[in-house]
Amino acid sequence: MATATSTLEAAPRPADATPNRWAVRARHVAIPAVVVAAIVVVGIAIGHDEVPTWLDAHVMPAIDRLYHWTVINNDRNWLFTAVFSNVSDAVKWCTEHMLSVLQILRWPGVLALTGVVGLHTSGLRAALTGMVVLSGCGFLGLWDDTMVTVSLMLVAVLIALLIGIPLGIWAGLSERAEVIMRGFLDTAQVLPVYVYLLPLVVAFGIGDASAVIATVIYAVPPAVRITSLGIRAVPATTIEVGESFGCTNTQLLRKVRLPLARRPILLGVNQVIMMAFAIVVYASLIGTAGLGGEVLTGLQKVDVGRAFAPGLAIVFAAIAIDRVTTGQRSTSSRAGRIWARPPWITALGERPAVVAALGLFALAAVAIIAKATGADHFPSSWSIDVVTPVNDAAGWVGDHFRRGVPIVGGTGSFSDFVVLHLLNPVRDPLQSAAWYVIVAIAVAIGWLAGGLRIATLAAVCFLGLGALRIWDLAMDTLSQVLVAAALSLLIAIPLGIWAARSSVVERLLRPLLDVAQVMPAFVYLVPVIFLFNVGRVPGVVASIIYAVPPGIRLTTLGLRQVPFAPREAATSFGATPRQELLKVQLPLAARSMLLAVNQVIIMVLAVHVVASLIGAGGLGLETVYGLTKKQIGRGMAGGLGIVFLAVFLDRVTQAFGTRSERTD
Amino acid sequence: MKRRNARTASWLLAGVLVAVAAGCGSDAKTSSASTAAPADSTAGSTGAGATGAGITLAVNPWTGSAVNANVAKVVLESKLNTAVTLTDIDENATWPGMDAGDIDAVLEVWPSGHAADVSTYIDEKKSVVDLGLLGPDAKIGWYIPTFMLADHPELATWEGFKDPATAKLFATAESGDDGQFLMGDPSYVSYDDQIIANLKLPLKYVVAGSEAALITAIKAAIADKTPLLMQFWQPHWLQSQVELTEVKLPDVTDACLASAAAADGKYACDYPVDHLFKAASAKLESKNPAAFGFLSKMQLTTDQQNEIAATIDGDGMTPADAAKAWVEANPDIVATWLS
Repeated sequence: MATATSTLEAAPRPADATPNRWAVRARHVAIPAVVVAAIVVVGIAIGHDEVPTWLDAHVMPAIDRLYHWTVINNDRNWLFTAVFSNVSDAVKWCTEHMLSVLQILRWPGVLALTGVVGLHTSGLRAALTGMVVLSGCGFLGLWDDTMVTVSLMLVAVLIALLIGIPLGIWAGLSERAEVIMRGFLDTAQVLPVYVYLLPLVVAFGIGDASAVIATVIYAVPPAVRITSLGIRAVPATTIEVGESFGCTNTQLLRKVRLPLARRPILLGVNQVIMMAFAIVVYASLIGTAGLGGEVLTGLQKVDVGRAFAPGLAIVFAAIAIDRVTTGQRSTSSRAGRIWARPPWITALGERPAVVAALGLFALAAVAIIAKATGADHFPSSWSIDVVTPVNDAAGWVGDHFRRGVPIVGGTGSFSDFVVLHLLNPVRDPLQSAAWYVIVAIAVAIGWLAGGLRIATLAAVCFLGLGALRIWDLAMDTLSQVLVAAALSLLIAIPLGIWAARSSVVERLLRPLLDVAQVMPAFVYLVPVIFLFNVGRVPGVVASIIYAVPPGIRLTTLGLRQVPFAPREAATSFGATPRQELLKVQLPLAARSMLLAVNQVIIMVLAVHVVASLIGAGGLGLETVYGLTKKQIGRGMAGGLGIVFLAVFLDRVTQAFGTRSERTD
Repeated sequence: MKRRNARTASWLLAGVLVAVAAGCGSDAKTSSASTAAPADSTAGSTGAGATGAGITLAVNPWTGSAVNANVAKVVLESKLNTAVTLTDIDENATWPGMDAGDIDAVLEVWPSGHAADVSTYIDEKKSVVDLGLLGPDAKIGWYIPTFMLADHPELATWEGFKDPATAKLFATAESGDDGQFLMGDPSYVSYDDQIIANLKLPLKYVVAGSEAALITAIKAAIADKTPLLMQFWQPHWLQSQVELTEVKLPDVTDACLASAAAADGKYACDYPVDHLFKAASAKLESKNPAAFGFLSKMQLTTDQQNEIAATIDGDGMTPADAAKAWVEANPDIVATWLS
């Protein structure tokens, strides 16, 4: 998400290479200093160390009343009987038919479809990878559950794209639309699902419809953002050429902008798919069948192996769909191909209609053969038991790492160390300081990062936390986010640098990163608590597992993007590899590294709700109340608190990123 | 390069179109077959003269819930010609489901967690009806691992925790100098922080966040023989796997229950017994009166439920098989539900 927005912000900023640099710098420091002093003075004048009560927003009772009204009236009000129930029926119709298509194809047909789509978009290698990985779901003995989940996800992805791409085009063409949408997209992306799950059920009923809608809410933002980014990235000169040839606006869009933005839009499709799979487990809370329920059952029984198998199936399905839909890696693999492309393949490539017909024919053939041979279910004799080995492995790790490890003492004492020497020292000052001091500090940081605009935003976000009466919880969450993000970066940046310097490391890391990113956190909650004791540390560890992959990826990407010329120059001046890394590559990759910081922080916040289920507490737990205690207002307040923190941290790190580019 | 991009785009488009066309085509061709399939399966399970409208029962994510629902399914399908769909669903989402009639009944509701649902859906909107007690009683309480009593017999009652030195046995990094009292899922009913404050115990209330987290903490404490004090309850499948002892709290009094009702923060006694009950959608009675009558009468004792649960959690039977075996072995009990 932030990839898109930060790049957008970078462009229009003028370089302030004024001769009178010191005066500028003095102004940069003086104004925030005055503002901060003013806030503290006002705070002291008000005389409250507690957040003043007049800030109370009355949001929570209003939401509770609205929810109650909805519950009572959802069978008579026209909005529900005429609108929502029809939407619900339409969505259910789609998921049912999507599933029956997959069932008619049977498992050989679905694998063939995967292969055909992969061949179309990404070439032979991606097609084979997709087929092999997807068949993994069958070997886990979970093919039928996987198909239920996939059908739900495909419908959600299609709807998310139908909404997201047009909105993205609009946002790409209109600055005002972009600004207005941004707040909604941030909220949709960061607001925890727990907050709106129960209201969705009241409006759309249990089952597929609500699950699809929840998924769409979560998956639309990347589609909008990346499409908009792609439209904006079309070079102005190309647009001018189009205009000078007399293109109308529609023609410009259809013939120039959209074709040139094809790659980002495809990337958007890919991100939508990944986001959609992150919702699978939540969807099972509201009565959908499929893999998510199996994960929850395993968690409920505290059976790691039983939760792991469906978790792995979710990973397989997501990776398979990712590989065959991206089409992104195909060009590099094509460029690096050793053998020549046979002429008949090239010839076919020029006749998409023929290929499409052939693909359809092949699919139909596979499906008919499958039906004729009665291959209704993935052969159960092929399934491989992962439950026992995973449980054995988890048990072994639990027995050997918890305590009695030489020097460090074990994960248990590591956990105590983190609580006493990292989490408490960060949390306690945040919670005990007067609220206006924290607001003043946030404003100052905002100002240093991006001037008045970010400073105002910081004030709004932090005062909002006070207004929602969640100040202490928010400070608790903030302390955990900062610690988890710092630890994640400590792991991600060195690994990212290593991966950038060695393609072997990168290749070895990639499947691990894929698994860590898509595996539902619910799967590894139990072993993490077993190792690190209930409390904030397991939450921090779960956040690190989730946040490290984007950190590594963006670091590697940043270093790889450093142009060759300056590096060569450094080498020719006799720089050692170490000097070249420290003095040339890292400074030139600074912007991308800040993006890594940004993404790591957002990911940590995204997983905070799940972390709260294993003792992290804070705002995350508040959002869970929205579902489990029907205190929708309370859940919403917690969710909005997370949104405020996310917006503040996101904008500040982005603004620093923009600044670092200016000074380069 | 640009040409290739354009070409790939058209390929992609063609691919999507093919997929859609294949979907629609095969769907249209075989829609009769696909609707026929479920009809076959229901005919198989309901026997020749299918009479009752099919119903949906909620299965909440614990074994007891699966036991009740599967036993009911076996009886409904074999004796009352009613096809039953089981839906796995969170217990809180079950209520809007019954409200809309998407779920016809849930057979095990723990009243302590659903006071708001009872007042909204049963008392106010009347879209859900109380189907009577299921049978088993539940009891929340304070628990410690039994091995701790060997060295500290005084911990059998709450007074043993008054001594700061003893309470400190339970201290963790999260609780600081006080002993830690661990609460599992924060949505479950809890007066523990009030009990701690009102009995002036040197304990700190710490929330684990979920039942799974609580169970893992218990397993870790028992594996390491480390102290742990937590909220737990009967019946629970873990009780048959590990040795836990309930700490005796002051007896329940009327004054205590009154302060619970008034939410005045003065609660200072043990938890009252929870009577598990059944609930159904108000639409069920007219939709399938026979099923409604049966579900109101169906009851299981704690022992019966545990017996079936043990064959699932212990022997690894599927809930469906376990329920079928039990129903076949206990025709007299089933007969009383159908009379």
